[in-house]
Amino acid sequence: MKKKLRMNPIMKKEMMVGSRSIKMSFAIMGINGFLALIVLLVMGSNSVMGGMTGYDYSSLSFLFPVLGCVECGLLSLIIPIITSGSISGERERQTLDIMLTTPVSPFSIALGKLGSAMMVVMMYMVTSIPVMAIAFVLGGMSWWALLGLFAMLLYLGIYVGSVGVFCSSVVKKSVMATILTIVIGIGIIIATFVILYILIAMKAYEASVTKATTVAVGATPMIMLLNPYSPFVDFLIRSMTSHSLYDVIADMGTVSPVYEVIYRGWIPVSVVLNLLISLGFLKLAAMNIAVTRNKKRK
Amino acid sequence: MLEIQGLTKKYGKFLALDNLNLHIEKGEIFGFVGPNGAGKTTTMRITCGLLKATSGTVYVDGVNALTNPDDIKRKVGYVPDFFGVYDNLKVMEYMEFYGSMYGMDKADVDEIADGLLELVNLSDKKDVFVDTLSRGMKQRLCVARALIHNPDLLVLDEPNSGLDPRARFEMKEVLKNLGAMGKTIIISSHILPELAEMCTSIGIMERGHLIASGKVDEIMQKTKGSQPIHLRAVLSSDEEEETQKESLTRLLKEQPNVEKVTQTEDELLISFNGNDEDAAILLKSLVDANIRISNFYREKEDLESLFLEITGGGKA
Repeated sequence: MKKKLRMNPIMKKEMMVGSRSIKMSFAIMGINGFLALIVLLVMGSNSVMGGMTGYDYSSLSFLFPVLGCVECGLLSLIIPIITSGSISGERERQTLDIMLTTPVSPFSIALGKLGSAMMVVMMYMVTSIPVMAIAFVLGGMSWWALLGLFAMLLYLGIYVGSVGVFCSSVVKKSVMATILTIVIGIGIIIATFVILYILIAMKAYEASVTKATTVAVGATPMIMLLNPYSPFVDFLIRSMTSHSLYDVIADMGTVSPVYEVIYRGWIPVSVVLNLLISLGFLKLAAMNIAVTRNKKRK
Repeated sequence: MLEIQGLTKKYGKFLALDNLNLHIEKGEIFGFVGPNGAGKTTTMRITCGLLKATSGTVYVDGVNALTNPDDIKRKVGYVPDFFGVYDNLKVMEYMEFYGSMYGMDKADVDEIADGLLELVNLSDKKDVFVDTLSRGMKQRLCVARALIHNPDLLVLDEPNSGLDPRARFEMKEVLKNLGAMGKTIIISSHILPELAEMCTSIGIMERGHLIASGKVDEIMQKTKGSQPIHLRAVLSSDEEEETQKESLTRLLKEQPNVEKVTQTEDELLISFNGNDEDAAILLKSLVDANIRISNFYREKEDLESLFLEITGGGKA
């Protein structure tokens, strides 16, 4: 017998409830308003500069990465707010117990919560198309770049959202979960840079001792594969220039063929790796939801 | 329908349930009575798959709840003591949401939800937002929600807590109707007279132990001396009143099943441990002894006094 493909019921409900909320309308308006303001400022400053030296349309090509970064930054702040209340909110409303008496598994609950957050992200992305189109009209981007940006934002949304759902399953209060999500996110970014810095310093020390003329890059930059924002950076470099993150790494020293494959495929490798980490966060969230069952009710 | 054997639950060092044994027949309305912390909610949550037991077995309609929690979820409907509200969700959407959680089609859910909302008197509230309903309506909606997948066993944890008398009455009617439909129901409540009225059997818990269980009348019968007989006799004017009372007291004490006779201002209070037939024999023997009886009645014990007697005054 054919099994019907069903939408996750929690995701469906969250979308329905969320779409009725005035908060979402204001958030969409706020994001797009902010993006429009950035466009106005960039175009305005260009216009002022153009008055002196002649209008330089090529400088407007930077509108695309600027808008991409702003959108990425905004979503990195908004997604924790959306997802941090996902499980803790159910606990606060005392609806989690009822959910757990249904056949829906704790993992499906976590997945549904993440899915609904992703729908919100997609809605933000779609509504931002008119503003992004300004960069498109002025020649700063291609359709592929726009699609690539959206794919990157979606991937980052999944990552940050998974951390948010996990934090929401750990902490009782939604506000605390939001703060914890941002702290973990920033913590991962800082940690990858700190570890990279230490590894590079060790390599430099090693090179100074051995007095080597050429340094093998080796696996040192791989730590940055764990930085969820590194594929986004590689994507922007590739979109704006004819280079990639690999060229930056190759400038540091010699790269062996095995590592070259990984570094050249930075975006897919890092994205897959970080999506696996996201899956881990969701599994941990599901475990925390299931553990609720073993706790005495206050 | 429900068979619990040797159920034990520990929270760290605290023993919430200690080797609990319980049997509930299909179609019964079983009332859980006990002071706070007695283990009622823990038992209910284990039965629903919300808690893992430390040891023991729980079978719902032949399915082990502890080893097959997913199967149990389709057999049990759970109503907690607090109704959590989702903002911006209408009554029918609420039912559809929970129906979809059980993998039901929208058309099926709508059909079943129609009937259930009628059962709980909320047919006219289908398009109303859940958070605008009164507490009593929300609790009845919660019962309808718990029935959406047609469970064999309905577990209600203090469904009447915080409800006003009108809402309590409406909830009682809903549960009575469900009982009449043959649903097996487990209900815990602090309002004992209502439980006595609704339940076919009860279980009294204290400190993780089931100290009494069975039909309400049977448990009451077991508690000897708890239903005293009030007797008033018309005394003769020939003899002194005190002398007559003393001789009557002596006569009563000679009768079987009479434990104690206490004189009050205008009647005698007889501590009697026999059944109704024994009481009838006592009455006949008094009449045969030419005692002119003007009033003879046995106190009807209620669940509240029974509970207090068994638990030694513990608060429900």
